[in-house]
Amino acid sequence: MKGKLESSERERLVEEGKNLKESLVTLEEDLVKLKDELQHVAQSIPNMTHPDVPVGGEDSSAIRKEVGCPREFNFPIKDHLQLGKDLDLIDFDSAAEVSGSKFFYLKNEAVLLEMALLNWTLSQVMKKGYTPLTTPEIVRSSIVEKCGFQPRGDNTQVYSIDGTDQCLIGTAEIPLGGIHMDSILLESALPLKYIAFSHCFRTEAGAAGAATKGLYRVHQFSKAEMFVICRPEDSEFFHHELIQIEEDLFTSLGLHFKTLDMATADLGAPAYRKFDIEAWMPGFGRFGEISSASNCTDYQSRRLGIRYRPSEPLQTGPKKGKANLPATKFVHTLNATACAVPRMMVCLLENYQQEDGSVVIPEPLRPFMGGIELIKPKLK
Amino acid sequence: MSLHKLRLAAAVPVTISTFSSRLFLKPFPNTLTLGLFSRRLQPRKPLLVRAFSASAAVQDIPATQTSESSVARPQWKASIDFKWIRDNKEAVEINIKNRNSNANLDAVLELYENMLNLQKEVERLREERNNVAKKMKGKLESSERERLVEEGKNLKESLVTLEEDLVKLKDELQHVAQSIPNMTHPDVPVGGEDSSAIRKEVGCPREFNFPIKDHLQLGKDLDLIDFDSAAEVSGSKFFYLKNEAVLLEMALLNWTLSQVMKKGYTPLTTPEIVRSSIVEKCGFQPRGDNTQVYSIDGTDQCLIGTAEIPLGGIHMDSILLESALPLKYIAFSHCFRTEAGAAGAATKGLYRVHQFSKAEMFVICRPEDSEFFHHELIQIEEDLFTSLGLHFKTLDMATADLGAPAYRKFDIEAWMPGFGRFGEISSASNCTDYQSRRLGIRYRPSEPLQTGPKKGKANLPATKFVHTLNATACAVPRMMVCLLENYQQEDGSVVIPEPLRPFMGGIELIKPKLK
Repeated sequence: MKGKLESSERERLVEEGKNLKESLVTLEEDLVKLKDELQHVAQSIPNMTHPDVPVGGEDSSAIRKEVGCPREFNFPIKDHLQLGKDLDLIDFDSAAEVSGSKFFYLKNEAVLLEMALLNWTLSQVMKKGYTPLTTPEIVRSSIVEKCGFQPRGDNTQVYSIDGTDQCLIGTAEIPLGGIHMDSILLESALPLKYIAFSHCFRTEAGAAGAATKGLYRVHQFSKAEMFVICRPEDSEFFHHELIQIEEDLFTSLGLHFKTLDMATADLGAPAYRKFDIEAWMPGFGRFGEISSASNCTDYQSRRLGIRYRPSEPLQTGPKKGKANLPATKFVHTLNATACAVPRMMVCLLENYQQEDGSVVIPEPLRPFMGGIELIKPKLK
Repeated sequence: MSLHKLRLAAAVPVTISTFSSRLFLKPFPNTLTLGLFSRRLQPRKPLLVRAFSASAAVQDIPATQTSESSVARPQWKASIDFKWIRDNKEAVEINIKNRNSNANLDAVLELYENMLNLQKEVERLREERNNVAKKMKGKLESSERERLVEEGKNLKESLVTLEEDLVKLKDELQHVAQSIPNMTHPDVPVGGEDSSAIRKEVGCPREFNFPIKDHLQLGKDLDLIDFDSAAEVSGSKFFYLKNEAVLLEMALLNWTLSQVMKKGYTPLTTPEIVRSSIVEKCGFQPRGDNTQVYSIDGTDQCLIGTAEIPLGGIHMDSILLESALPLKYIAFSHCFRTEAGAAGAATKGLYRVHQFSKAEMFVICRPEDSEFFHHELIQIEEDLFTSLGLHFKTLDMATADLGAPAYRKFDIEAWMPGFGRFGEISSASNCTDYQSRRLGIRYRPSEPLQTGPKKGKANLPATKFVHTLNATACAVPRMMVCLLENYQQEDGSVVIPEPLRPFMGGIELIKPKLK
């Protein structure tokens, strides 16, 4: 239409232009909707799975390692609830009035034990080059979703704050993932290794049955969480570093546990591979999960927008992005529980109880508790 | 004659209803200014702000309601001593004025009188109904019997109406009376902020011979505090602590715990999600426009703004033995505050945040001991802050700055060189029986009463309400502001005060990191 035209030709072109414009607008709208739909359904495709992961349900999970053996008791043992009552360490009853079920107060030596566990864990993990952090416990719900959790929905684990788009975190993994979201990191900055303390809040909606007793399943608890951001080629290495750290921690505390390579049906959507550690809980008479270490590869980073720019310029192939800069890639993220206080407390109380009703404090924790070696029954 | 009486009885409820709705329509003063009032306090907003519970009475009441739908049945009732209020009304009125409270004493007194009268009327009618019932047991002529049956029915109907009215009246009375603030210790200065008295001053401002940084700059330069990432993840006034700051927080809490335990305080950790009724019973305001309280979606639960709340709740609706008192707790928790309505310069960095760690002391004791424990608590706080080498002053807060529950409140303000002014780092309140009357915490004295009537169970002395006190042992972000700003050095490092070093693996200095 920029050229010289006869008026009838011009009119025809104007008409054609208008029609094209209208069609375009409609098609572009359709394209946007289609992309949204595509995104919506595609986002529910779970991460790929490591080839060594056993295929199947719970019973298919493979035991990678077993440490220690169940302690033999020559006296009738108590579960942690009974020990908690007898030693005046845990109060569920008052909390039920004040807050509801699955809430509790820790008292006396149990408070010192929680602090010792967290302090000791921090000092051990820092030695491996992890940076200590404390995190917000209220986050925007979009961050929760980007990490692969489900803030809304019937059986959501997530507490929402009234009148806002904010939620309470169920794990420090969430605010940790959020730190570097929508960022491009330098390759030289990787790996980033964090150990973060936070309180965690979970609705435990839909959790029923025997696995809810006492401290085993609660709405609020303290946890130390490890989080790694690394290059894709390094995530397998760090997955093994994380599980090694966990196994060392629990071995030092004298626990009897097994490390499981979780089967495909037990992986959360973000996890490429997941190692769970289950420790022997004599009061329950069974093993209970005390930690979980997941390699999420690029599942979370694709949602959180965490990329890195490789240091070496590419030798071959087209250079995309800014002139002479290699293209950015998505990082891999991993997370692992260093210490989930209530579950650890179940293990320590139940495993270290004595016939006279006292509980021995494992040696590594004593310096972090002012030297206390024993939790003794109190005189009444 | 009985018909005449009936007519009178029928007339009474109408009068009462009209009367109470008239009271209802009586404009509550300062409804609109309440928000402004709490904002006026903002520039020196205490760490433990309570919106005056007067707003509970004021904001919920629509102006044009009749008594029928005026007040929702309350979930709980404070045990208010109405008789005492009536017998001491001058003192109560002066106290309300001194505190700039919106409580309406006249309404309370009027409702109380009406309630008493209505109660008498109800009792009278009950007695009459009993008489009628008695008469009907004897031998009567059928016309007489019919008349008595009729009379009985009328009495019953009137009674039902009156009893309903009595319930409503009691609810109304309760509702307005609950906003009456606690009485005030005679030594408390009367007036606003500027009237608070300095009880003690420790140390003096450090003199710097180099340009100093505020805690935000130190936090950035030493890679200790990250507000920027938190703003993306959570919103403003949230933060991550990093590196030595994490160790410093843990050292502060560990050290504080060990110091306070030596004074006989029992360590606790508490739930941080509580039922909203507990929040109210402690004198806070979960709902309302400028509420400090986060509520959980789809439940009647809230996040705590201080461990004082779950601590008050531990022994609620209980009768303690006198021998169990005093109960002394030191509790750690995270605290969550909306800080709605907080504006101005006093919001920078760690000074005002939505989430923080705090160690809180809580005492439950006999009434005669609360003054002693108030002094014990403030002494503990002063010793802690002196040990850390802080320069601070202890203030006896003036009447207009007391929250509704506090009989007396001591605040400690420490020198924050980065701000160039003092900032509140702790608050110690003696709430006497204000909270215990709402939480239902009583004790049974050990000694049987020598004289006077014995009430309650046979031979047991009557229960009394305990007194409760609360005091901040360590509010981590405020302490961090003080330590970072006061202990900074010219080379950009920060010295760790000696008492904290053993709790931080011996670290003496936070040094700038190599980049």
